[in-house]
Order: sequence, then C-alpha cells, then structure tokens
Amino acid sequence: MNDYRKAFGELSFSADFQERTVDLLRNRARELEKERTDMTICKTKKIALLAAACIALLAVSVSAAYAWLTPAQVAEEHNQPLLAEAFQGPDAIEINETVESGDFSITLLGLVSGRNLDVLNQDLEKDHTYSVLALRRLDGEPLENETFDFSGYVMTPLVAGCSPAAVNNWTLGAFAQGFAKDGAYYYLLDTQSIEMFADRTVYMAFYEGFVPNNDTFTVAEDGTIAFADDFSGVHALFTLPLDPAKADRAAADAFVESTGMNGWSNERSDPEGDWDIEHHETEDGEEIFLRSALKSGEETGG
Amino acid sequence: MVPFGTDETISRIVSAYSDMLLRLACVRLGSAADAEDAVQEAFLRLLTARPIFRDPEHEKAWLIRTTLQRASDIRRKAEQRNIPLEDVTEPAAPESPGEELRSAVRALPEIYGAVIHLHYYEGYSIKEIAKLLGLPAATVGTRLARGRERLRQILREDVI
Repeated sequence: MNDYRKAFGELSFSADFQERTVDLLRNRARELEKERTDMTICKTKKIALLAAACIALLAVSVSAAYAWLTPAQVAEEHNQPLLAEAFQGPDAIEINETVESGDFSITLLGLVSGRNLDVLNQDLEKDHTYSVLALRRLDGEPLENETFDFSGYVMTPLVAGCSPAAVNNWTLGAFAQGFAKDGAYYYLLDTQSIEMFADRTVYMAFYEGFVPNNDTFTVAEDGTIAFADDFSGVHALFTLPLDPAKADRAAADAFVESTGMNGWSNERSDPEGDWDIEHHETEDGEEIFLRSALKSGEETGG
Repeated sequence: MVPFGTDETISRIVSAYSDMLLRLACVRLGSAADAEDAVQEAFLRLLTARPIFRDPEHEKAWLIRTTLQRASDIRRKAEQRNIPLEDVTEPAAPESPGEELRSAVRALPEIYGAVIHLHYYEGYSIKEIAKLLGLPAATVGTRLARGRERLRQILREDVI
C-alpha cells in the first residue's frame, strides 16, 4: 500500500494547472452565458411573432391536453441547435406516452440517435442517443428548479435479456440534464447509442432511486425486465420503438461483455456476505485481503 | 447545491478536486499532459451539462466517473492511432519502481484500475467506492480482489 501511495504520490503535473483551468472554465462560462442571453433574445422575438398567430387557436388550446415542450424545444433550451434539428428530422422517434405514478405524471416525449449532435461536447467517434422525458405533479403544483430534486430520480435505458446491471445509465456513460419550465420538469438524457440493442426489447425506465439493482427490478426467465412488485417509489417503464434493422448484435454483445456485469439474480442477499475480508498487520501497516466468496469466474451483477 | 459556473464555484471545485482527479486519470493515462486534458474536459463537461447535485459526495462521484470516461476516450483515441501513450510525451528513461507500478496499474483491465486506485491511494472503503462508481458493493469487492491479484501477476511480486 505504501508503494502504491508513493508511486502515485510522486507524479507531478504542471505547476499552473489549476490557474489555467480556472481561467479556461471562467472564459467558457462567460461564453455560455452570452450564448444563452443571445438565444433568449432571439426566442423572445419569435414568441412575440407567434403570439399573434396563435390567438385564434387559444380557445382550443385551453381545453387541450397538457402541452409539453417538444424534444426539439428542450434541446434548444440546452443551447443544442444540432440536436434540436435532429429531433425534427427523419431519425427522430416521437413517443408521447404517459404513465402516472405516485404524485407524478411521467411522459416520455421522444428520442433520437446520431453522431456529433452535441455542439458542447462533440464525440466524433460514437453515436449517441438523446431522450427527452417530462414530469409534472398530478396535483398541479408546479415543479421548480430550486425545489425539485432532479438527482433523486434515474432515467435509464434497459434491455431485455441483458442484466440491468450491465446495460444502464452508468455503463452507457450517461449525462442527464434537467430544467423546470412552466411548472413541468424536463430531462434530457445523453447515452451511448442504444440502437445496437434494437433487435431486442429496449426500455426507458424512470424511477426514484439510484443504481439499478434487484430491489428495483426483476428479470424474468425470458429476459423481460419489470419493476419489482414491492418497489414503492415513483416509477415508469416505457418500451422503445427502435428500428430492429439498426441492431448490431456483435457490438451489443461486446458492450455487455466489456461491462463485466452481466450477472443478475432476483434473489436479494446481504452484499456484505459476498466476499471474505481478512485483515493482516504488516510492517507497513494493515493489509486488507479480499477473497470473493463467489465461485471462480462468477461475478454478481447486483 | 449552487450550480457550477460562477467564478466562486469554479475556483472551489478546481481547487478541491484537481489533485485527486489528475492522479486518478493516471490510472488510465501514461502522461501528465494527457491526464491534465482529461481532467480539464471533465470540468468543462460539468460546466456545459449543468447537472444538479444533491450533495458534495454526488458531485465528487460525478467528477470521478466523468474523468475516468474522458481518460478512457483519450487512451482509446491514442490506441486507434497506434501511438503508445507513454511514448506520446514521456521521454525514454530508466524505469523507476514507481513507474513500474504505475505501468502495471495501467496494464490492468479498466474495470480494475479505478477500484484499486480509489482504495489504495484515496483510502476509500468498498462501500464508498461502490457509491462513487455507481456499482454494487459486492462487485467492487470482487474487482478489488481480482485487480489486486492481476497486479501481482503483472509485477510478479507483492507490491501493495
């Protein structure tokens, strides 16, 4: 342990790293702020023009269903013009399905997959999937940025036949962003593309909690995933209408394999019991030996 | 928590996490310059993604995962160009015991390196690492045990 600490402790980095990084971030923060301000001015002009045109439709809108922002508008709110355009393009999948759970109405609005759609974080090498989900309270109380605990909920893709521990937000490198507007809360989820799984049932789950585990989900013998019967938090599970022609079984299998997490058991056990820990005093201090209590070659996925 | 983006929060976060993240990035990257790029990219991602954290631990976990991802991306890109990472910026020099160990850690499959580092350098417990990496605690325990064994095999002697 001391050797390890020494080896990584002796690494040296640029003396001005922190100073350079603070400058870089402050400049970028100012640029982003300016972009947001410019966009708001632009939007205000558009809204003024649209308002007149919409007056005739007002009577109809009042009695219409709850009007969400579109996925394209959600992308615009995040200053993502390419993504907004993609949400209006031929590859976008409109879903608009709603589940009511607990105090919330949860609506999966849509998704789109493609490469290099994120102007703020370009990834030239991998396709990504962007999904938009909207949330509102059933009692009409508005959701607000200041009070809604965005991080208390998880929005994650899951794939039938794959362990929820292997294919989820964390393994797919997800970034979730959210904001409240007009009393509703919008999630924009960016993950590595899920189209490679399109020949199986692919879900989008939304639930109160953290990492997918067997307190939250069960996996049936045929691979079907469902929320555990006794899961009491807010939850919704949508099936995604992906195009099976876009599946890539070899890439999907390689991805699952790379996670090293494709084990799953619906039986709940005390995680403390899954390995043996031995403590030994040595000249350098205490050494901790860990021996997996699992059989050789087996790794639990949760 | 206060959203990232104000001068004050930028200074706080860079000051609080830089050292830890730079060393963590070196679990996957062989040069200090690459590690600095990975950490800067993670901070920039924080600025643009605007996540809302429930507490400082959540913030730290987010930064750790993002730094590891960015480090993997940099490493993958270098490998695709067939450039050995160590050769990109590091001059040829006799390998010190420290570098020998760091090379061995970098040679581990990625799923083991971060767990080993967070435990043996940062001193986190299995439960804490599970929370930071978003993995079941049992998986962290297994990876720690197997990673340590692989490290032993690579070094052919006990170093930890």
